[in-house]
Amino acid sequence: MPNLNINGRNMSVEAANDTPLLWVIREQLQMTGTKFGCGAGLCGACTVHLNGEAVRSCQTSLADAVGKKITTIEGLSAKGEHPLQKAWVAEQVPQCGYCQSGQIMQAAALLSKNTNPTKEEVVAHMDGNLCRCMTYSRIQKAIMRAASDMRTASATGSERRAT
Amino acid sequence: MNKHVKNLAPETTDLSRRSFLVGTAATGLVLGYAGSGIDQALAAPAPANFEPSVWYAIAPDGLVTVTCGKADMGQHVASTMAQIVAEELGANWKDMRVQLASNDPKFNDPVLGAQITGGSWSTMMNFDAMSRAGAAGRIALTEAAAASMGVPAGELVVRDSKISHPKSKKSMSFAEVVKSGKATKTFTADDLKAIKLKSPDQYTMIGVSVPQLDIPLKVNGTAKYGIDVMLPGMVYGALVTPPVRYGATVKSVDDSAAKKVPGFIKAVTLDDKTTTTTGWVVAVANTYANAKKAAAALKIDYDGGPNAKLSSESLLTEAKRLQGLSDSGQFFVKDGDPNAAFGTAAKVLEAEYTTNINIHAPMEPMNATAEFKGDILHIYSGNQFATRSGAIAAGAAGIDPKFVVMHQMWLGGGFGRRLDADMMVPAVQAAKAVGKPVKVIYTRENDMTMDFSRPLTYQKVKAGVDGDGKLVALSHDVVSAWPTQRWGIPDFLSPSVDKKGPLDAFTVNGSDFFYTVPNHYVRAIKNEMAHNATPSGQLRSVAPGWTFWAVESMVDEIAHATGKDPALLRVELLDGKGKNDGGAQRLRNTLLAAMGLAGYGTKKLPKGEGMGVACVSSQERATASWTACVAHVAVAPSGEVTVKKLTVATDVGTQVNPDGIRAQVEGAALWGMSLALFEKATLKDGGIEQTNFDSYTPLRMSQLPEVAVNVIANGEKATGVGEPAVTVVAPAIGNAVFNAVGARVRGLPITAEAVKAAMKA
Repeated sequence: MPNLNINGRNMSVEAANDTPLLWVIREQLQMTGTKFGCGAGLCGACTVHLNGEAVRSCQTSLADAVGKKITTIEGLSAKGEHPLQKAWVAEQVPQCGYCQSGQIMQAAALLSKNTNPTKEEVVAHMDGNLCRCMTYSRIQKAIMRAASDMRTASATGSERRAT
Repeated sequence: MNKHVKNLAPETTDLSRRSFLVGTAATGLVLGYAGSGIDQALAAPAPANFEPSVWYAIAPDGLVTVTCGKADMGQHVASTMAQIVAEELGANWKDMRVQLASNDPKFNDPVLGAQITGGSWSTMMNFDAMSRAGAAGRIALTEAAAASMGVPAGELVVRDSKISHPKSKKSMSFAEVVKSGKATKTFTADDLKAIKLKSPDQYTMIGVSVPQLDIPLKVNGTAKYGIDVMLPGMVYGALVTPPVRYGATVKSVDDSAAKKVPGFIKAVTLDDKTTTTTGWVVAVANTYANAKKAAAALKIDYDGGPNAKLSSESLLTEAKRLQGLSDSGQFFVKDGDPNAAFGTAAKVLEAEYTTNINIHAPMEPMNATAEFKGDILHIYSGNQFATRSGAIAAGAAGIDPKFVVMHQMWLGGGFGRRLDADMMVPAVQAAKAVGKPVKVIYTRENDMTMDFSRPLTYQKVKAGVDGDGKLVALSHDVVSAWPTQRWGIPDFLSPSVDKKGPLDAFTVNGSDFFYTVPNHYVRAIKNEMAHNATPSGQLRSVAPGWTFWAVESMVDEIAHATGKDPALLRVELLDGKGKNDGGAQRLRNTLLAAMGLAGYGTKKLPKGEGMGVACVSSQERATASWTACVAHVAVAPSGEVTVKKLTVATDVGTQVNPDGIRAQVEGAALWGMSLALFEKATLKDGGIEQTNFDSYTPLRMSQLPEVAVNVIANGEKATGVGEPAVTVVAPAIGNAVFNAVGARVRGLPITAEAVKAAMKA
């Protein structure tokens, strides 16, 4: 029985090695925040993090995920208070909301490496994530807002450390 | 008349044509309710709750839970209903909660008499009922508080979930009044009607961008969509759909290889007496991954049926043939005599406009979960038409519709796709066959190739202009599949002007525009071949998505042919004479606003760039929002069109949640752009060729233009905003392309190849 490290917990699952991680997360672990959209890596609705990198869980086999740190929308922050989640609420981004877990996870991978992205970097990073409600402009604004909040927080943090 | 039709319909809106949509007993779609206590989502509330109306309850802790009978597919309609209730109730927004209604007819739309969400109707048709419900609660709470405080009710002030008596400085919270148990007043329909509602100058909640109540659930993964439903003992179904969109039959199923897939339970060939689906097989297994493996392992032999050789080309050829017949179709508009007027016109223009098949492709693929529990069939699915879908589920199960309970979920996109009920059939028949709850999930490939698509359309428009350049005659033929007729509900059809039987007005709405044209014909012609081969549905904005493409392109062509400015010609045609009085002026004002905001006619644009205008009265004459767009495009020598900016103005009368309206209008405008430039499906050998987002390609972030949304709220009654802006964008872009490079493209989508070819012509 493979063991998965997901959102900081070790969980054993029962599935064939070639099972897409998406369905293991959704059905076996009953974490349904990660969504099925296309099954072909074309829409980004199923985006999760493997060792901090954004991947399409519909294109990732269970075997590929074993031994790696998996993070889903449920584990992005303990109380749903990641700067991106707060920014998503502040900018009132979601309409139907179905793609937004994937959008947030995709954006989180960007901001974990770069809290000062240009608009072009945001577009390049996010272009694989479809939003059929077309909330793209709010997604951009929310990413910029979260990036700014993260910079402020880290500046405040460094000041505090400095004093 | 449907007994569920309430007497709260706004009297000034002409909705008579559809005020008793689904009630007709002959259609067999009247849903009974299967008794109390069966619906977990709406289990009987604790007796201490105060329920002044079916639409909400106030708990002893003061929380107000509004039950939304409309499908929430991202338009935040549940939140909007709560906002309208809260205004009259006097509740604090932080105390408001929402839940989604079951298919109990008591939650039917008060105007439509059914549970159906579409047409951008929800706010306009529920504003009055929700306002009165909220006011009734306020009155009851106030009277109870007056009794408790021993003061006259007339001296009390209600605000922020608190009832205060300024003279004595006494006050009670809603929670305290509910706990007192003294709020027991009930209201008859006449009582409700007699309530004097607030005037707009008294609003403190309507017109405020309060945060949408569903959004927090949608950023942390906890919002439950149909696909997220988990039931004890549930198994999974994966579909095998035939290569032909409609009409195929299964000759044989060989499941010998599927039997080797671990967890495989059964292959179920659908026996669909509702004729919603043809030739579908469900592979049922213990997990969805195994169900998919089993589905792939099934060897199925099909008879392709009568449509197996058809293509988009055959549908278009047939449409042209039908249009050429003098006696085909029925008249939707018949004013004056265009044919006589063409004989004396100084100039006659003729043009053909086409649109290709379009696919809804909401991000949540179609799905449904069915469970038989005793006599009751429970369906869990996000659905826009619970009244009909429940009946289809019953038909698939072979039971009476009154034994079906529909559990509504958040919809991962609707756009009209979830008005249809096909997903009910495999879920119900698989659950019946294996004796367990079954969740059927479409693959994206199933979802795209079995879409109830926007039909391929062909329109021929002929216009006559007199010696002064005045538009004196217009004849407009619209040939398409008839999406609404397919539902089999006579009340959805409209009588034809020439009394040749009912027509599907949802194929021609919009062509009855607010321009003054003395001689004007519109003919609705059903393309039976397309109707059978590509069962069509309502795609966000429905007919105005193609009728305005033709009308607004032709108006531009007339302007250029007569040497007029296209925008000013529209202003001239919107003279508000006769039947167009009122609407025409509002549309004119909206157009002028958009022109001003975009800098139309004042900005000098570089070579290869242009602005184009369009203005529309979508969705229907009786339910119009007044919407105009100025598109600014750049066209490359290759013909490639880049949209630099869309300036949209829309007159919505009254805005409940301004930020929500802006989100809807922006999304709708981008849908319009996506349909105008990027989305095209084609039929070949009877099947839809596009299967996933690599071949059917909605707009992505990198294609996003600047979008400026301007909302006009002038105090008229609230109109709808989910769809109208879809319809104005394609003609605005087409007209902008012409102004940029002189290329007139008359088919959607506008491709680089078509622009380049038109540039040479």
